Amino acid sequence: MVIDLMGTGVLSAEEERAQANALFDSIGDGAIATDEFGKIKRINPAALAMLGYKEKEVLGKWFPTAIVNVDETGAPLSLIDRPITKAFLLGTTISDRNFFLRKDGTRFPVAVTVSPIIHNDRPIGAIEVFRDISVEMEIDQMKSEFISLASHQLRTPLSAVKTYTHMLMEGYMGDVTPEQKRSLSTIVSAANRMNELISTLLNITRIESGNIAVTPKSVNLIKLCEEAIREVRRSAEEKEIALSFKYTSAASAKTDALIAKEILNNLVSNAIKYTPARGSVTIKLSKRAKEYIISVHDTGFGIPEEARDKIFTKFFRAANVVKRETSGTGLGLYLVKGLAEQLGGTIWFDSEENQGSTFYFSLPN
Amino acid sequence: MATSPNLYQRVVRITHIYLGPAADRFIARQVENHLHKDPSRMTTDDLEHLIDWIRVAVSLLTDDAEIIEEYVQQLQRLTDHDKHKPNPKDR
Repeated sequence: MVIDLMGTGVLSAEEERAQANALFDSIGDGAIATDEFGKIKRINPAALAMLGYKEKEVLGKWFPTAIVNVDETGAPLSLIDRPITKAFLLGTTISDRNFFLRKDGTRFPVAVTVSPIIHNDRPIGAIEVFRDISVEMEIDQMKSEFISLASHQLRTPLSAVKTYTHMLMEGYMGDVTPEQKRSLSTIVSAANRMNELISTLLNITRIESGNIAVTPKSVNLIKLCEEAIREVRRSAEEKEIALSFKYTSAASAKTDALIAKEILNNLVSNAIKYTPARGSVTIKLSKRAKEYIISVHDTGFGIPEEARDKIFTKFFRAANVVKRETSGTGLGLYLVKGLAEQLGGTIWFDSEENQGSTFYFSLPN
Repeated sequence: MATSPNLYQRVVRITHIYLGPAADRFIARQVENHLHKDPSRMTTDDLEHLIDWIRVAVSLLTDDAEIIEEYVQQLQRLTDHDKHKPNPKDR
């Protein structure tokens, strides 16, 4: 006998079981419970409706073959990559996104959470809860398309603003006073900032939609770093920041130069932006067994401990920099991480608040 | 607590028959994640718990119940073997 969860009194074992069944069946998301041999013991009506099966068609069947997990190309996930296997291998709850095949062979995207069921300290099965995320994915797709379209449409008038402002500054439309020149110069830098923001949004859209083109070629990484430094030297000089570059030997990698440079530009610009005047920024290029590591060290504000696990997420800006630096979208590091992954590299950092940060970027050799 | 420095290697050797080259990584992951210890520090007291987890993990890699049972029995023999081995200190 156990105490009734619903607070209606003391229940018999049978009533308790009936209540547990009712709870399981009324879960709005799909739910599948397996025993310790991976055989399906329970499946709720929501799961059956999503998958198009009848209960008797899947009960007692081996989960990996009864319910097929596929990736975005439609290829079945290897058994070891299935969330349920991972949950047992790691002994922990696993959340993932992939696709399920319906009985009729069509597939639909799902967000899945699997937990091992532990009883008396022993694993006795697993429960997999999932929901159809088709609508969420469609909205994501529409959002990406909208950003892409809006960004393209913004670029055209921006080019006109920049061209005509430059013409005004150069005196093509009559003499310009020094005061007017300063105002025009402000218009140009604002237009440049907007252009950068549009480029960032476009790149993010490309990464998220999987449409970024990677063209690997042999790239001289020393030259690449020097070019990136040249582009930011002016902003470093404005803040009297000492900018240096160190490398040990010749370095050539087969990678996409444009993407690698975009990553580096972002990291170095960030370092300069978040370092107080008269600080220093050091770029280092070194080689490890199968990869090159480019690090960007600064003596800036650093990243507070509570912000570290969010630093590569979209639109995130640490509280300590928001107070000091009003400009910034929180998209730079999100973009950099996505771009680094496109090149088969990774990005990570060390940081201490008020001491500085070092961002590392690895590129496969 | 019966400590056997080669226990981990023996578990891996048996697992190799069923999982091939993945055996070492598979067992190391099981020991680290479920027993929360370094594989080299595994003891016979850990085996029972480890076998429970190995059984469920392997049950999702194959539905051949006979193979799983055979594998689990081979691992269980390691417990029996170590339990029956005379302790030199007892002599």
